[in-house]
Amino acid sequence: MAEKKRYRGRIAQVWIYLGKQLRMFVFQNDWKMLPMAALIGGLVTFAVGTNMFIYQEGTMNGCFALTCVCVWNGFFNSIQVICRERPIIKREHRAGMHISSYIAAHMIYQMLLCALQTVIILGITMVAGIKFPAESVITGSSIVDFGLTMFLVTYTADMLSLAISAIVKNTTAAMTVMPFVLMFQLIFSGALIVLQGPSERLTDFTITKWGLQSLCAQGNLNTQPQVTLWNTIWEFRAFEWQGQKPVKLFTDQILKNKLLNDFLAESGKYTGKPEFALSAENVLHCWMMLAIMAVLFAVIATLSLELIDRDKR
Amino acid sequence: MDINDWIQLIYQAAALIMQTAGIWMILKKCGVKGWHALIPGDRYYRLGIVGGRETDGMIALYADIARIGAQWAFTNVEKTDEYYIVYLMVALIILMIALVYEIRVLLGVLRTFRMKWYWIIPWIFVPWLPAWLMGFNNRFQPVDLGVYDEDELLAGKAPAEIASADSSDSRSGLNIHVRSRSVRQHFSRRYLLKDVNVSIPRGSLVLLLGGSGAGKTTLINAVIGYEKADATITLDGKDVYKNYSEMKYRIGFVPQQDLLRLNDSVMNTLYDAAKLRLPKNVKAKEREEKVNDVIETLGLAGRQNGLVAKKSGGQKKRISIGMELISDPDLFILDEPDSGLDGVIARELFEKLRGIADRGKIVIAITHTPDRVADLFDQVIVLARDSGRCGRLAFSGTPQEAMEFFERDSMEKIVMAVNRTSEGGEGRADEFIARFAELKAERGKA
Repeated sequence: MAEKKRYRGRIAQVWIYLGKQLRMFVFQNDWKMLPMAALIGGLVTFAVGTNMFIYQEGTMNGCFALTCVCVWNGFFNSIQVICRERPIIKREHRAGMHISSYIAAHMIYQMLLCALQTVIILGITMVAGIKFPAESVITGSSIVDFGLTMFLVTYTADMLSLAISAIVKNTTAAMTVMPFVLMFQLIFSGALIVLQGPSERLTDFTITKWGLQSLCAQGNLNTQPQVTLWNTIWEFRAFEWQGQKPVKLFTDQILKNKLLNDFLAESGKYTGKPEFALSAENVLHCWMMLAIMAVLFAVIATLSLELIDRDKR
Repeated sequence: MDINDWIQLIYQAAALIMQTAGIWMILKKCGVKGWHALIPGDRYYRLGIVGGRETDGMIALYADIARIGAQWAFTNVEKTDEYYIVYLMVALIILMIALVYEIRVLLGVLRTFRMKWYWIIPWIFVPWLPAWLMGFNNRFQPVDLGVYDEDELLAGKAPAEIASADSSDSRSGLNIHVRSRSVRQHFSRRYLLKDVNVSIPRGSLVLLLGGSGAGKTTLINAVIGYEKADATITLDGKDVYKNYSEMKYRIGFVPQQDLLRLNDSVMNTLYDAAKLRLPKNVKAKEREEKVNDVIETLGLAGRQNGLVAKKSGGQKKRISIGMELISDPDLFILDEPDSGLDGVIARELFEKLRGIADRGKIVIAITHTPDRVADLFDQVIVLARDSGRCGRLAFSGTPQEAMEFFERDSMEKIVMAVNRTSEGGEGRADEFIARFAELKAERGKA
């Protein structure tokens, strides 16, 4: 009886496709994602300024901007990678390729790409003079903690766009869907618009919410001074009541007694939120949510690509 | 209710009855049972079939049903409900989808009735009017868009059934016995291919000929086991379907387009294909030899280091062939390998395929310009689309026998003989299918 031939299994095929991805990185201009990440990271750092991790407002804006950069990078890394070669995948699937191996190769390759992008953005923020808090709750180094959060946000966004790329049939459809998903991520992050009721529940399904929450917690937002209240009061200095200007009187007293910093610190305590509390439990919860989402998106990508044989000729 | 409400109610009821009756008659004119007009949703699906837009009709069916739910939500959900905005959004999306797909379906129906596109406007605002006109006015008659009722499709309109197996059936080589290949389209079944029985010995270069829609690619997909048919396909006595996981490595299929990663090098493309297609126990050195052998056979030597993107059309085609050839398949099928190639390069390519066949392989190729390479083939299989829109076997034999059978002096003229008149052909498919069935029967008796 003839010996049954055995062909390369799933794990061996992962290495074949990973090699292909790495060659594509060099030849198919995927490397351009890295200078792009540097450019966008630089622009955002320039816009955020050095108020990050000093005042609550600066920290919130900066963390939101960093989250957006990570989501943007993740999306652009892989939104076209599958759909642009869909007919090739179909052909190779017919010839014995395992879809799970193909997706696993993408997952590993994208992990490397996201890690590089995170390092670049972190480097740029440090060069730009943003001082990260000294306190770390997970690894002992706040830079590493921030890096891990940014990596997870980038990678989860990457997996989401990988899933979209696996579901849609061509690059045009992918690029049409992407802005909607991006808008959903931004609007339902909870940072731009105060959400209530059913819409608030939707925030749990966004990458931006968990990324922002983790970064703000690591940035120790709750203990930082808040300037919005003081600025608002300052605007009302001309307010008169029964021939007097009580608001002006109040601000003058604060300044005269050099109590401004105390006032700002005190107002920050009242506006802090429990979800931004600096604790290992809080940060780990955010990381876990991001990791679950990443795995879920990878599973969706695999399952939807398994149906590739049904593609019409 | 005041008098105005009564008038409105009577108008709505009358409009609905007239619209339904009109659609009933439209469906009847097109050979579809009229009672489908009574069922919400289904009426759009049937109109979709009539208009040649079955998939759109299917979506319109679901959207029409969903619209009932959406309308309920509009009228019954309180504005104070926490999820009111969500219901409203979903309902609006459903209504928009329903409208778009209904318009698509109706545009198809207008085309069937040779009516101008702007008739869609009354269809949207006063649907009973065009429905009534198209249904009851004999001036509006459908054109034949190749729509057949289910019974006709099931039976096939071709005059002959060729159910018997090929008399030259043998254990070696490729034996194709396709009883039928059909697809289920929502609520109906459509036959794409019926009764194709052919035997091909090893060492043959076979030409698969037929007009568009004759079932060439369907047959190929059925033979390689990619889209299984009601068929028995054996390669050297081994059932392709029953042993698919093993047999897929013995069958090479080169698609019409060059499905290659352009930014990878030729060598890496072939080397990765070797790793994927060759058994695990093949040593790296042996694998390398196989790759070099393919490069040599296909005339790619000296060009293997550059990127695929930098290669000419002919070279890309050869790389595509090489990816399949690397596993040394026993059955090699190529879908229009010469598309986009000039005469000299195409001839050169087919000569290489002849060489592969001479090594004891079976090579089947589809080409739309067969005459420049006709002398290289051992066998020609002609498929034709019968009047029931089903692909059937119109001939199988040597190229010389084919020209005698069809009384034509070239392969391209044979295709024209079986092509439909709407495609510029002679529309004699049914005649040749029947004649070949008789010929086979006679051969069987002899």
